[in-house]
Amino acid sequence: MSTIYEEGTLPRPLPVGKAGFRTSGWWGMLALIGTETSLFAYLIFSYFYLQSQNSQPWPPSGLPPLRYAIPTTVALLISAGTMWWAEHSIRLAKPPRLVIGILVTLLLGVLYVILQFLDWKIEPFVLNADAYSSLFYVITAAHVLHAIVGVLILAGMVLWSAMGHVSPQRYVPISVAAMYWYFVVLVWIAIFVTLYLLPYISPH
Amino acid sequence: MAVNPTFRTPVIARPTPELRDKLEQMWKDKPGLLGWLSTVDHKKIGHRYIFTAFIFLIVGGLEALGMRLQLAQPDEHLLTPALYNEFFSMHGMTMIFLYSLPILSGFSNYLWPLILGTRDMAFPRINMFTYWVFLLAGIFLYIGFWEGKGTNVGWFNYVPLASRAYDPDWNVDIYSLGMIFLGISTTAGAINFIATAFRTRAPGMTISRVPIMIWGTLTANVGLLFAVPAVSLDFFLLWCDRQFGTHFFDPAVGGRPLLWQHLFWIFGHPWVYAIVLPAMSIVSQALPVYCRRPLVAQSAVVLATILTMVLGFGVWVHHMFSTGLPAVAMGFFSAASFVIVIPSAVSVFAWVATIWTGRPVFTTAFKFFAAEVVLFVIGGVSGFMTAAVPLDWQLTDTYFVVAHLHYVLIGINVFPVIGGIYHWFPKMSGKMLSEKLGWWNFWLMFIGFNVGFFPMHISGLAGMPRRIYTYPASMGWGDLNLVTTIGAFIFALGVLLFVINVVMSLFAGRKAPPNPWDADSLEWATESPPPSYNFAVIPQVGSLHPLWEGRLEEKGGRSILEEGAVLDHEHEIPGTTVLDAEPDVILKQPHPTLAPLIMALLIAGTFVGMLLTMWWVAFGCMLAMIPALFYWFWPNAETGWEIRA
Repeated sequence: MSTIYEEGTLPRPLPVGKAGFRTSGWWGMLALIGTETSLFAYLIFSYFYLQSQNSQPWPPSGLPPLRYAIPTTVALLISAGTMWWAEHSIRLAKPPRLVIGILVTLLLGVLYVILQFLDWKIEPFVLNADAYSSLFYVITAAHVLHAIVGVLILAGMVLWSAMGHVSPQRYVPISVAAMYWYFVVLVWIAIFVTLYLLPYISPH
Repeated sequence: MAVNPTFRTPVIARPTPELRDKLEQMWKDKPGLLGWLSTVDHKKIGHRYIFTAFIFLIVGGLEALGMRLQLAQPDEHLLTPALYNEFFSMHGMTMIFLYSLPILSGFSNYLWPLILGTRDMAFPRINMFTYWVFLLAGIFLYIGFWEGKGTNVGWFNYVPLASRAYDPDWNVDIYSLGMIFLGISTTAGAINFIATAFRTRAPGMTISRVPIMIWGTLTANVGLLFAVPAVSLDFFLLWCDRQFGTHFFDPAVGGRPLLWQHLFWIFGHPWVYAIVLPAMSIVSQALPVYCRRPLVAQSAVVLATILTMVLGFGVWVHHMFSTGLPAVAMGFFSAASFVIVIPSAVSVFAWVATIWTGRPVFTTAFKFFAAEVVLFVIGGVSGFMTAAVPLDWQLTDTYFVVAHLHYVLIGINVFPVIGGIYHWFPKMSGKMLSEKLGWWNFWLMFIGFNVGFFPMHISGLAGMPRRIYTYPASMGWGDLNLVTTIGAFIFALGVLLFVINVVMSLFAGRKAPPNPWDADSLEWATESPPPSYNFAVIPQVGSLHPLWEGRLEEKGGRSILEEGAVLDHEHEIPGTTVLDAEPDVILKQPHPTLAPLIMALLIAGTFVGMLLTMWWVAFGCMLAMIPALFYWFWPNAETGWEIRA
């Protein structure tokens, strides 16, 4: 019996292991980002819902200061650029630039976490003052937690790049880590606009 | 260490005994306890899911029988009011969260790689992880029950009743943390199903050749991805309110109790579809086998399934019609709740047409599936009735709603599940279930169910409210409740017969051939039970019904099952493209490992620390997750990393 294979199917040379772009890890990360993004969407929904149901001033105890929030935003935007540069470098087969790029991204992530802790210290309200302050802290803390996870992922990538586990043929873990980092940065933009900018634009 | 070659052309061959031996050595688990704890075999994970979820079904069922004894006559005092509160809350929580989705995950875990014609899921370690988390979260949710500290304000746990002021003990703390804990399992499982469906189908299984069972579970899991965060967040906010004095639900300083209900039902209604769509797809997959024809209008059923899930995100307010929302909001959500009937009806008509135009074989499995169609219609119509706001105001919080939700959940989840076990038990165990016991099993369950639950419609219309532990004789609900209790016990007897049938068949059942029902999908192409590697050579799929080709007047390709890619270098499966299922990579799948168990235990430790407010325990476990994750993901050649020699 002669076997007829449809066009595009076996047999032909196939890459082995973590090759290609849309890997299992890519799908997994996409799904993870989907679920985590909806977590933040529900947090922001809660924020707007409580604001809409309130006849009191919102925020009740004064506007959140921008002293640290603006540098935070700048740092995170730059970190998205350095992450892209790192990923681009490995495609161009420049492993040293890869390690430098991830390292810079990682440090900017650490900087963000420090800035957020400083930001909490100068807020005019505490966690259990009212519903607004409770949400403010939970939303920012949820994001810091995600950023810390991102920093740990990047630390793993630095380690494995330095150990030579990543190559121009197989760099997908870097791309997947980069996806997560872009997600962290994008969610911050949404939080920055909602929590820090909107109260200035339309004080309630 | 060995260096991975970057490219390889898979060898195409027919399976030989030597190849089978080699694959068996490669894919089998380590012996003993270590092997049991470290396995990542999707078939074993599926077994464990089904077994554990079934235990929870029995526990939740015993709680229900306790309630039915209490309610059988007016003014009874078998259970105290406090114990009754715990019973109905734990019953709801158990059935909805610990039985109905996990049992379907069990089916999917076991069957997906077989139906998809491959050897494993996309993420075998995450797969094992989800089971351990489910098991530990299930135990966690039950730790307080024996000391009167099980959840006790209903499974939907409304504030302010669930706040510290009105429920000061651990009851709601356990429930809140346990639900966040369980959500990790659900979400990780959803991610695994999605990646598996898009990535690891057999070559040639294009998007139009994906069996219906995959569609139902995939749709449900995409929905879960977006729904579960709402409830995890809700319970987290409640826990913060109870533990740290935050004010999310406290109207005195800007919080709103209705925020709880919104977040809960934004999750809750999609969840309903997540626990019925995979079960409906079990019917769509297996019912046609007994009708000796393909499912009528498969494409329409697939599209209706997806549409139901999408619409399912827009109907949550129909659980809140009596909370005093604006009329515009109620009008919108009422209309949306009517619209969602249309895609649901598509499946019903497709099943009816399949039976009508087929030549039904009246096996036990067929009876369970046909019963599902009937019960779905009854439960669907009573749901449709409560979508109308004025009627809902009359019926909300009465036994009418209890009747509705049990027709939906038992009718569309339990009946397909039992039917599904009759259908796939030969594949899973290598033994046939007894059809004679099956006949008694089915009729006891079907009659008991209707005798038990239909009268609840009437007691609801007569005004009997939910969640009351007893009622005075003057209300006149006594006779109806006695009938309900008798029905519940007949139903329980049916479930008991099922358990007896399973146990007897495991020990003394007839040996099952590879394809006892002459079914069409790929899981029937391998032995019963399947070997550890599922398929000795990877099948090449040419149509929607690979094992019915030649009998159907179908255009298109022919599947190739007798020879295929060998892939015998460690744990290998083909990765294929999303739409055309063209192989584009040879995936290296992980070997058995303890990493998932370690991670699950650390998460359990974190939640126990949070419950006991021993913060150093919680924090210590979280810190320990960092090395555990590095251990899990450490690059090695087995999982396809490039390793420099």
